[in-house]
Amino acid sequence: MTTLLNRPAKTPLDTTAWSIGSPRLLAGLADAETLDARGHHAAHGPLPIADLDRVLAYLDASGLAGRGGAGFPLAAKLRSLPRGGARRVIVNGTESEPASRKDRVLLRRTPQLVLDGALAVAAAIGARDITVAVHAERTAQVVRAAAGQRSDGRRIGVRVVPGGFVAGEARAVVRALNGGPAIPTGRRTPPTADGDLVANVETFAQLAVLLRIGPHRFAETGTVTEPGTTLLTVGGAVSRPGVVEIPLGTPLGIVLAAAGAAPDPQAVVVGGYHGGWLAPIPQIRLSRHGVASAGGTLGAGVVLVVDNATCALGELARVTAWLAAESAKQCGPCRFGLPALAADVAALACGHPAVAPALDHARAVNGRGACAHPDGAARFVTSGLHLLHEETDRHLASGGCGRPVLGRLPIGAAS
Amino acid sequence: MTAPSAKPDLATLSIDWTRCDGHGLCHVLLPERVGRDEWGFPVLHHTAVHSVDELEVRGAVAACPALALYLTRN
Repeated sequence: MTTLLNRPAKTPLDTTAWSIGSPRLLAGLADAETLDARGHHAAHGPLPIADLDRVLAYLDASGLAGRGGAGFPLAAKLRSLPRGGARRVIVNGTESEPASRKDRVLLRRTPQLVLDGALAVAAAIGARDITVAVHAERTAQVVRAAAGQRSDGRRIGVRVVPGGFVAGEARAVVRALNGGPAIPTGRRTPPTADGDLVANVETFAQLAVLLRIGPHRFAETGTVTEPGTTLLTVGGAVSRPGVVEIPLGTPLGIVLAAAGAAPDPQAVVVGGYHGGWLAPIPQIRLSRHGVASAGGTLGAGVVLVVDNATCALGELARVTAWLAAESAKQCGPCRFGLPALAADVAALACGHPAVAPALDHARAVNGRGACAHPDGAARFVTSGLHLLHEETDRHLASGGCGRPVLGRLPIGAAS
Repeated sequence: MTAPSAKPDLATLSIDWTRCDGHGLCHVLLPERVGRDEWGFPVLHHTAVHSVDELEVRGAVAACPALALYLTRN
């Protein structure tokens, strides 16, 4: 296997972006901070015209799953739109996962690729309007400028919606765009029922690549069931944090080595804070199926390394407290259950015997909310407690592990 | 595997968690179906509603002071 590391010489904006293997989404970014319309054309070529049948055929052939975290197939979303009733294409660029940077990198550095995908979907389903929803004004400015550079860009609106972890959920984004609060609705009606096609930024970028190269070439990299590449955001105890494009199925060990991860870490957190704690087994394949086989979830591709210098239980407690604070507090079990869960984990980190209550509270909140926030928080804590059971014993025996909490798991969104 | 004598599921009982304030009437009216957690919020033990139970469940849905309990037809 040949592994090419393509890294830009300077560090543009607030992050680095590089790839293992040849880049697709990140093509052309080695020499440019932001690809303008001309640079985009040079890197990617023209976007072929495709009707809905062709879009669906390509999507079916490649099985393109959404890249926002839930992995819902884009083709299934397109098919569930009411016939003739497609209203709006919404590009979800809210990226509310604190460690994730991939959508910001796409929107700020290669915005035309994302707009290509959104315009292609709008043309295929006959939607008149395209809205790009973001949290940061800075990102909005780049996307507005990008839309202004293209002749078909007048239908593209860019909106800054309120921040917050649960504000990035598709129904919360639609609600905010419609003038309501940026929190999920009480009933789980998908946005497609109202004619809104909402998908993640990277999903549109992947579609723009797929339409250009076709499903056959698209499948030249990746795994049989999950062809193509995906974006990761790698962070924590690594010397080269940033956004990495990898062939789906790349082993975790290769990504950790390329990112300069601390040797022999205690754990990796994969899938962000609705994801899970995993033992850093180098052979874990970074695909949806591969991470699921290891008992985790790839989610939106966040990979965080927890090294041996930090107190892992303290890291778990810190993020759990943050998750409790991020509850929209509109559903009782989440409003009361997550703080109780956070208190249990904090007690554990201080050496109190609270494993059973923590697992009970995690089970109690699971599935009992308007959105998946309590479910995700329960998964995060449960997986952490399972992986760190020896640490828990150590804390019980001596009131702690003697290590500081270094904050390897970032909380609070940076713009 | 479903037993051949299984009654068909007519509807699904759900809670709109954004409305529920934990008044507890559903627990009082449907004690076998709805428990309460340590904060008083309902815990649905089973959500599938068969035709024989429909009237009783509809009564609880109508009684919910927060309009949080609802039935959807399958």
